Amino acid sequence: MFTLPQKDFSAPTTCLGPACMQDLGSSHGDDLEGECSRKLDQKLPELPGVGDSAMFSPDTSYLSSRGRMIKWFWDSAEEGYRTYHMDEYDENKNPSGIINLGVSENKLCFDLLSWRLSQSDMQRVEPSLLQYADWRGHLFLREEVAKFLSFYCKSPAPLRPENECEKEAVCVIMCASVKYNIRGPALIPRMKTKHRIYYITLFSIVLLGLIATGMFQFWPHSIESSNDWNVEKRSVRDVPVVRLPADSPIPERGDLSCRMHTCFDVYRCGFNPKNKIKVYIYALKKYVDDFGVPVSNTISREYNELLTAISDSDYYTDDINRACLFVPSIDVLNQNTLRIKETAQALAQLSRWDRGTNHLLFNMLPGGPPDYNTALDVPRDRALLAGGGFSTWTYRQGYDVSIPVYSPLSAEVDLPEKGPGPRRYFLISSQVGLHPEYREDLEALQVKHGESVLVLDKCTNLSEGGLSIRKRCHKHQVFDYPQVLQEATFCVVLRGARLGQAILSDVLQAGCVPVVIADSYILPFSEVLDWKRASVVVPEEKMSDVYSILQSIPQRQIEEMQRQARWFWEAYFQSIKAIALATLQIINDRIYPYAAISYEEWNDPPAVKWGSVSNPLFLPLIPPQSQGFTAIVLTYDRVESLFRVITEVSKVPSLSKLLVVWNNQNKNPPEDSLWPKIRVPLKVVRTAENKLSNRFFPYDEIETEAVLAIDDDIIMLTSDELQFGYEVWREFPDRLVGYPGRLHLWDHEMNKWKYESEWTNEVSMVLTGAAFYHKYFNYLYTYKMPGDIKNWVDAHMNCEDIAMNFLVANVTGKAVIKVTPRKKFKCPECTAIDGLSLDQTHMVERSECINKFASVFGTMPLKVVEHRADPVLYKDDFPEKLKSFPNIGSL
Amino acid sequence: MQSWRRRKSLWLILSASWLLLVLLGGFSLLRLALPSRPRPGAPQGWPRWLDAELLQSFSQAGELPEDAASPQAPHGGSCNWGACFDTSKCRGDGLKVFVYPASGPISETHHRILASIEGSRFHTFSPAGACLLLLLSLDAQTGECSSMPLQWNRGRNHLVLRLHPAPCPKTFQLGQAMVAEASPTVDSFRPGFDVALPFLPEAHPLRGGAPGQLQQHSPQPGITLLALEEERGGWRTADTGSSACPWDARCEQDPGPGQTQRGETLPNATFCLISGHRPEAASRFLQALQAGCIPVLLSPRWELPFSEVIDWTKAAIVADERLPLQVLAALQEMSPARVLALRQQTQFLWDAYFSSVEKVIHTTLEVIQDRIFGTSAHPSLLWNSPPGALLALSTFSTSPQDFPFYHLQQGSRPEGRFSALIWVGPPGQPPLKLIQAVAGSQHCAQILVLWSNERPLPSSWPETAMPLTVIDGHRKVSDRFFPYSTIRTDAILSLDARSSLSTSEVDFAFVVWQSFPERMVGFLTSSHFWDEAHGGWGYTAERTNEFSMVLTTAAFYHRYYHTLFTHSLPKALRTLADEAPTCVDVLMNFLVAAVTKLPPIKVPYGKQRQEAAPLASGGPGPRSKPQAAAPDCVNQIAAAFGHMPLLSSRLRLDPVLFKDPVSVQRKKYRSLEKP
Repeated sequence: MFTLPQKDFSAPTTCLGPACMQDLGSSHGDDLEGECSRKLDQKLPELPGVGDSAMFSPDTSYLSSRGRMIKWFWDSAEEGYRTYHMDEYDENKNPSGIINLGVSENKLCFDLLSWRLSQSDMQRVEPSLLQYADWRGHLFLREEVAKFLSFYCKSPAPLRPENECEKEAVCVIMCASVKYNIRGPALIPRMKTKHRIYYITLFSIVLLGLIATGMFQFWPHSIESSNDWNVEKRSVRDVPVVRLPADSPIPERGDLSCRMHTCFDVYRCGFNPKNKIKVYIYALKKYVDDFGVPVSNTISREYNELLTAISDSDYYTDDINRACLFVPSIDVLNQNTLRIKETAQALAQLSRWDRGTNHLLFNMLPGGPPDYNTALDVPRDRALLAGGGFSTWTYRQGYDVSIPVYSPLSAEVDLPEKGPGPRRYFLISSQVGLHPEYREDLEALQVKHGESVLVLDKCTNLSEGGLSIRKRCHKHQVFDYPQVLQEATFCVVLRGARLGQAILSDVLQAGCVPVVIADSYILPFSEVLDWKRASVVVPEEKMSDVYSILQSIPQRQIEEMQRQARWFWEAYFQSIKAIALATLQIINDRIYPYAAISYEEWNDPPAVKWGSVSNPLFLPLIPPQSQGFTAIVLTYDRVESLFRVITEVSKVPSLSKLLVVWNNQNKNPPEDSLWPKIRVPLKVVRTAENKLSNRFFPYDEIETEAVLAIDDDIIMLTSDELQFGYEVWREFPDRLVGYPGRLHLWDHEMNKWKYESEWTNEVSMVLTGAAFYHKYFNYLYTYKMPGDIKNWVDAHMNCEDIAMNFLVANVTGKAVIKVTPRKKFKCPECTAIDGLSLDQTHMVERSECINKFASVFGTMPLKVVEHRADPVLYKDDFPEKLKSFPNIGSL
Repeated sequence: MQSWRRRKSLWLILSASWLLLVLLGGFSLLRLALPSRPRPGAPQGWPRWLDAELLQSFSQAGELPEDAASPQAPHGGSCNWGACFDTSKCRGDGLKVFVYPASGPISETHHRILASIEGSRFHTFSPAGACLLLLLSLDAQTGECSSMPLQWNRGRNHLVLRLHPAPCPKTFQLGQAMVAEASPTVDSFRPGFDVALPFLPEAHPLRGGAPGQLQQHSPQPGITLLALEEERGGWRTADTGSSACPWDARCEQDPGPGQTQRGETLPNATFCLISGHRPEAASRFLQALQAGCIPVLLSPRWELPFSEVIDWTKAAIVADERLPLQVLAALQEMSPARVLALRQQTQFLWDAYFSSVEKVIHTTLEVIQDRIFGTSAHPSLLWNSPPGALLALSTFSTSPQDFPFYHLQQGSRPEGRFSALIWVGPPGQPPLKLIQAVAGSQHCAQILVLWSNERPLPSSWPETAMPLTVIDGHRKVSDRFFPYSTIRTDAILSLDARSSLSTSEVDFAFVVWQSFPERMVGFLTSSHFWDEAHGGWGYTAERTNEFSMVLTTAAFYHRYYHTLFTHSLPKALRTLADEAPTCVDVLMNFLVAAVTKLPPIKVPYGKQRQEAAPLASGGPGPRSKPQAAAPDCVNQIAAAFGHMPLLSSRLRLDPVLFKDPVSVQRKKYRSLEKP
């Protein structure tokens, strides 16, 4: 990776980039290595230490773990680093001299620095460094500072180290000191103690000054916006004019082999914590040629809308240096309005054009007569094209974005949503200007199938011409367009001169299923949208069979498609803004694929998204019995009863660990020697606060997937019952599997939910006083519990089990499993508590919980079932001693 | 003196700095203190033009090209589906495939693959009637390369299947033929036309195949985060013992230098980093998939297998190789929920499409069939959630809610009624009592009697409120599982004329089935076991503590299993069931277990008495050796499946108050309690 000559690092600026790590590593790799990796492990456990001296050694065993890691990413990281060293201070490629690998590395470096500086050994002073030639410190340090400052302050001539500005230097020196591993305090020249105080004062003032400067620097708007306080009054006519000389360069034609990894400079996007690309829009200019003739219309209404939408979105940045994607303000939506060569020249002179890398052009009407290319003819080199009307031959899969052709009618006509169902016409064709051959085919269909097929054309006999776009005629019958589309189940979308047709948008708006007859057409946003769900694609040569193809589709599927078509229009076709944002989202998903939007989010209409449940444990998988389970006993101070529970639970064969959550802060748990001796590891966790949710904390000590939550007073469960419960859980790992069952009921008088603990034929909850569940639900309970339920439970010291039941049922959509017959669970001596739980107030409180949780969840997720799980031969006429779990259900 | 001068200069600097501070900081503070007026479009963005209203639209409404293009597809360099595939031959039965017989001697693998295609429902023996002509090109070892076949026709409607990438020199032009090959490079791959296959190792099992290796849903605590593929093969894991603890941010890290483990056959890590450059890395990809290690691909230059239908974003991470550290950071910050979902998806995909050569070939054909079907193809949900498109037939329905598997995802629930299907075998007595018991159930929608014996149909049937339909069967046992169009409900209660059930039992079993619509819910059970003595599978219908099959002579299941039984099982297996009628039960249980990967469910059966024995002895039909045939069945069917899908369960679902010490009056299913 580090093929650069071992020259002295020229400036501490590199501290801002990974090069800093290089420095740290190469000069003092050994003593920092161990520390660094430990520090890094906190957040980035396997991040590489960049640049060990042994980096080139073929035998990687000499490398540190960090070194090895970076070697794995060898070639890609190297590229960025080489670029950096070709011109360390290049304005564009290296703004601020930072290797733009992204913020995380930079942050890492700062972390590293601050950590290094806070170490105790920084207080020690190397004697040799205290030997100064003069009071201003070592010359070599000042040289570095001068180099840095001459770059940083953009000084025309290099500053001389003798008279560098001391103020800013201080912090820089801190940086440099790390670089040369000079211990911090050594930088302050040797002096008497009483002088030191002045220096400290001076230093603090300088710091204050720097902060003030920082505020000045980083709040430019606070200063500048004084001019913008009034709404900017600008007219499109007043934009600056740019003259394009006839011989100005023209970009190459589009490169058909472009892919994201070859033509897109992803370094510009770097790492963004929000995983969002930044888009810059060039200022609007008016381009004229040598004779002052404008190159194109300045800007169309739609393109203005599009740029406004981008500018209002989260993607927008006005900092050209931080942008990852550039959108020219040159309007190429309609190729017919362009002068192709001059437009290309205008593109080429954009300040960051660079062969079109990371530039995005929007085009909806490509090509022109006579052959109508399916992509924009303007030479655009590597620029991405969001085009409406791509064919498979021109579309660069995974690079270009296919967008719809916007239909201006959408803004004019308001078509209210019409529910799916049978409509008057089965198939309609409403396009005008179709090729005669297509029209013949359509009319043949009409003749064959009569009333159910309607073929419309433009009206010739209408007097007022202005409205003719909104009218269609069949013979002498006049229809309103696009309203007539709502009368049809299927609407033909035929290829015209261009593949992409604006009518597609009208058809979707009308909730009519488009029948796309345009071979090789790339449907809009086909990279993410599943068009099979909303359209029928028919090959052109099968046009005569269209009717029979459509008739073979079952009615239910048609209705589904109608709904889907309308939803696609609402989400992605409705406005220019929707089109622009969907395009940017697609590009964003390519750059940050790990944060990409899923198929369901793109395609499922809101109604489906609401109704569906995606079970987090969807894979049918029965965990091996050998894994066992971890029992978690929540206890406060009932030591005697706790010990009995522990002894009882430890008899269960599949128990693999026992965890006692000691919830009493005022009392220490009993000494080690007093605990019962059991065959599995027993751990006591002491909690910071007496909270019920401590029971559901995802402790690191839990190594098994199965967790048994058990109260410290549940002593009646036999080991057979627990073992059986575990085996039931294995078959239902995504459910709560518990012993005492409860039910929720709708109280018609009070009009709210009621909690029920009587002998009922149904269950909807199990108490977590004794229940098996997957440890993932601990994570959900602690970190993903909706609303304020968790705090509410902790404050009321009640209903943590109901909350858990709600959570699991809501996320899995499944009911609980109650195991084994009903029995008395609490210990006989705890009758007082038992009495309390039967207390009326207790029931009222529990009912309150159910109502509260149902309102927070916005629904009642609990499912009622009529079954419980027993061993296969339970109560069967069968010899008891041959049964696997004989000791079940006895009181 | 000198110190005074220094002090003076210090004061000077001090006061100068204060001045600076007041000037700069004060100004900013003043600015902050002032109530800021609303600023238009806070960060300066695209301006709001004053004359925006006057701007013209990009396309004038009347603007229509005068000369509409001629109806000829635009020409390009390569084939696509519409231009190079003729679907007119594929009408009716869907995809029919003809396989070119091998010329000359062929390897054992080749032979078995041919046999497997011939056994499938796609196969036809006539090249003229075939819609797809399949050319196998896989004998790389023997050095035999296939030559130009007879009906080549410029490759139209041909599929050249290259399972192993040992390319023959191109003896003939591929022309318009589709190519299905392992990990094709992105540049040569024609999306929507070619099919990308996985890179199969030489010893990939032909049928069945090893199951996924994931033992548990969530990663073990302390497991390595990332394993890296080595060029020579094998994996190495950076065993730092610091898995970033996805469960809890505050967990302690174990310091210490990382140790590298070499040559491990299968990675035990959460993520597996796989190079995107070398197509050979694709075999690692499959390995990671099987191990449940989430593949992380850096800018793959090869097409992911079956990318046309499989949504790989649900099972793998494809990232840009130029930002490796960002990828690493993203992996570490990935939420446990996402990791959980990705891990499970790897296992599902492996098991559904990749674990055997047969599955890979069938998936390829299914992909092509989906293209032909167009709108009636599998929806994406069927491809991408268990049990997968090979087991969820689109010929049954294209609406996910018709299947038993997708009710949760669709927010739907199974129908609240069932159809009773009563099979009347050789003794040929109309099961009057049974009909009455079943008709008494409030959930019953219809009763179908499948008359399958030599006697003539009785003229009169008992009076019931239920619609009763009599179907005259073909005297074949597999008729029992034919998807009769008269069955209109989701649930089927399959019965034998000799079964005896009470209404209570039927009601309770149906309520249980509604909670588990994809499983079989039965009353009587049997189990399989590994018989060490005979080195094969054993079968027992005796009452034991566990079971793996329910008898279909009295069981609830979804009507989809009839379609699956009739249309997806190889012909040989159905013939086996017809010849040895005891096998039909076993076969149905195998099928459902292979689809659900779960054991069936047993509900209580009130009459634990002797007459249960003939019922338990297996299917109807002439029973010469009722028990003896069963183990053979299990072994033969297991061999045909390639693995043993049956799973054992040790539980029975009872009514909540079943035999509890409480008044019978409180219980809903009272008659279940009667001794």
